[in-house]
Amino acid sequence: MIEWVGRKTIAGYTYLASLATLFTQAVLDLVLPTQQGRRDTLWVLIRQILFTGVDALPVTTVIALLLGIIIVTQAGTQLPRLGAGGLVGGIIVVTVVRELGPLITAFIVVGRSGTAIATELGNMSVTREVVALRLMGISISRFVIMPRMVGMVLSMLCLTLYFDVVAVLGGYLVADVQLTIPFYAFVESITKALSTTDVLMTAIKGLSFGSAVAAICCYHGLAVRSSFTEVPQQTTRAMINSFVLCLLIDVVVTVPLYL
Amino acid sequence: MNEAVLVLEQVRTPMAGSPHVLDVDLRIAAGEFVALVGPSRSGKSLVIELAAGLVRPEAGRVVLLGHEWNDTPESEQTPVRLRVGTVLQQPGLLSNMTVFNNVLLPLRYHRGAMSDRDRAQAVMAELERLGLSALRDRFPAELNHGEVRRAAIARALMLDPEVLLLDDPVAGLDAELVLVLKRHLEERRAHHAMTVVAALRAPSPFIEAVDRLLVLRDGRVVADGTREAVVGVVPESLRMYVA
Repeated sequence: MIEWVGRKTIAGYTYLASLATLFTQAVLDLVLPTQQGRRDTLWVLIRQILFTGVDALPVTTVIALLLGIIIVTQAGTQLPRLGAGGLVGGIIVVTVVRELGPLITAFIVVGRSGTAIATELGNMSVTREVVALRLMGISISRFVIMPRMVGMVLSMLCLTLYFDVVAVLGGYLVADVQLTIPFYAFVESITKALSTTDVLMTAIKGLSFGSAVAAICCYHGLAVRSSFTEVPQQTTRAMINSFVLCLLIDVVVTVPLYL
Repeated sequence: MNEAVLVLEQVRTPMAGSPHVLDVDLRIAAGEFVALVGPSRSGKSLVIELAAGLVRPEAGRVVLLGHEWNDTPESEQTPVRLRVGTVLQQPGLLSNMTVFNNVLLPLRYHRGAMSDRDRAQAVMAELERLGLSALRDRFPAELNHGEVRRAAIARALMLDPEVLLLDDPVAGLDAELVLVLKRHLEERRAHHAMTVVAALRAPSPFIEAVDRLLVLRDGRVVADGTREAVVGVVPESLRMYVA
């Protein structure tokens, strides 16, 4: 039993170290300028932003609106009944902006783009495209990982902020019929409750979740060795591990605020 | 004798899918055209992968263009790789790029100073020579086996490599295309000193172009020399590979 726990712990640390190495190399590739393959890398980055960010707008809008309706309706109808109408803004800011906005956006991105990256890189590994790139002297980190990571981080950050706005304002507009609070009072309550810390928190989470998801999905995609059956296995692992690591990061970022 | 560009010194390494161990000691001189021949699972592809630095031997050392792969970290391999063109058994054309863009990729990535027009001309000239110009806008999934292989060879030649490592370059090519490829490599070698090491699975007219034949069986070199010299010494069972 102890041996098993030890083995799992070492495997966990090794896994996190591998992700950190992959991430660090991608950051180095980003900050250390080179003329090599700039245009190709930029093209991969643009495609990643289009796919992860722009193409995800419709589904993000729908989910943000639905979540917004639920939370704004609950907070806007229940709290005034309890005489805590003044807390509506605070509750919505804490729930949507600090917590659910970044988390649900991360889940959307994992489901849409994270799995797509893991599958794409997995297939590239099986068909030896990754080896072919290496043989051509093309850096896998610079050409494959870095643009996908940067694209995902930027997209995640923008989608998170977009999600927050749509969920709060859109949620109010759609749930308007049920609320007793007028719109101007609702907006005032939100703006009063919204601090720089909240915006910073949502941005930090967006950036961290984006980095974690991109690193995990690239890692698992490239971990595929020789068979197409490994691709869905690694994709599933990438998805589950992304969810777990996002929640873990959420705890690490959120808890110190309340200590 | 010219300086050795590829040295496999007392290399021993297991062969996947075979009970035998690759055990070779060979030197290939600059400008040589060498063919590795022999039956399946004789170690030909493994020699190509060792030479390309994709496999580390269990014992011995592999030196390509003066660089020992064991001592060259991944981050420092690029300068060597730019001097070597490699086409493996699975050529690895990028599936989301057309033939043109696949062949263009090494130039666009490594020759930033070249104008777009010059790069496009160089790619089209190479595609033309290998009979692929009509397929320039096709994706790899739309090509047959031989077309994929020729596109991969065109890509490997784009940076004018000093060493060309080819694993089964004639697979999927009809007799006419084998001659096209053979002629193309001969022309290239006439203009630019290029060492070619090719693993061949089946007898082919391609063999007429080579300077030296290495016959492998069960991971060992059983004959080494010119075609004429080798024909006389190989066992009867392997004669079909050199005839």
